[in-house]
Amino acid sequence: MSRLIRVLGWLAALGLLAGLVMAFGVTPREVTQGNVQRIMYVHVPAVWVAYVAFAVVFVASVAHLLRRSAGADRLAHAAAEAGVVFLGVNIATGSIWGKPTWGTWWTWDARLTSVSVVFLIYVGYLLLRRMIDDRERAGRYAAILGILGAPNIYLVHVSVYWWRTLHQPPSLLKAGSATMPPVLWAAVLLNFAAFALLSAYFVAKRTRLLRWEQEALP
Amino acid sequence: MPDNWGFVIAAYAVTALVLGAYWRRLTRLERNLAARIEMINRSRETLPSPPKPGHPRPKPASRPPLP
Repeated sequence: MSRLIRVLGWLAALGLLAGLVMAFGVTPREVTQGNVQRIMYVHVPAVWVAYVAFAVVFVASVAHLLRRSAGADRLAHAAAEAGVVFLGVNIATGSIWGKPTWGTWWTWDARLTSVSVVFLIYVGYLLLRRMIDDRERAGRYAAILGILGAPNIYLVHVSVYWWRTLHQPPSLLKAGSATMPPVLWAAVLLNFAAFALLSAYFVAKRTRLLRWEQEALP
Repeated sequence: MPDNWGFVIAAYAVTALVLGAYWRRLTRLERNLAARIEMINRSRETLPSPPKPGHPRPKPASRPPLP
């Protein structure tokens, strides 16, 4: 297991390096926004990885409630932490990107507000685990919150269609044809792969630490 | 539109900072946990074994032979 985690870590490091080369060395300067558009190569992959992590929380929470599986509970806990980290990166980089393009660091538009709500739900999820001393009860309550939090991710995705917002509609996860040139697509996908590997590394490492904690220090 | 390189660098720096901080947290947690487990194991080894219940009975070899 520890060898697999180490391999994942090295693969993630190589992927991040390749992603940087792609973002700064291969992709051209975007015509409308200029070089500030390069923020997209971390902003978008970070939110995709966070979505995947929260989907893992959902599945593991269901498994924990159905089977009382301690392993599923540990996986949900680790994935929630990784999801919060990557969603934090997404919100921070979005705010930095917003200043030169929209003229403001923050605005209460539908996409930004719904993403913040999801962020707070999963921060609450982690706090809930810390607040309850009984591990079994904490796992059960957190699993319920992990299941209830998942539909909000769909709300984030459709928020730009349901409400008139400042945030642009998706250019990538969009029905029909993509509006981006293939080289930009490739840079986003490469960075997504690197972030996904890093997230898998974080989750595997955290899950192992939680197992050690529970087995050695009951 | 101007290039705003400062914002680009800030965004990548924040990303590196957040991901690096979480990686460091996991590494530190792993180190602390390993040290605590090691300490518990060592204290288990050095502690005298708890007394067994009941009256101590000599082993058959140490008993005097019957007359």
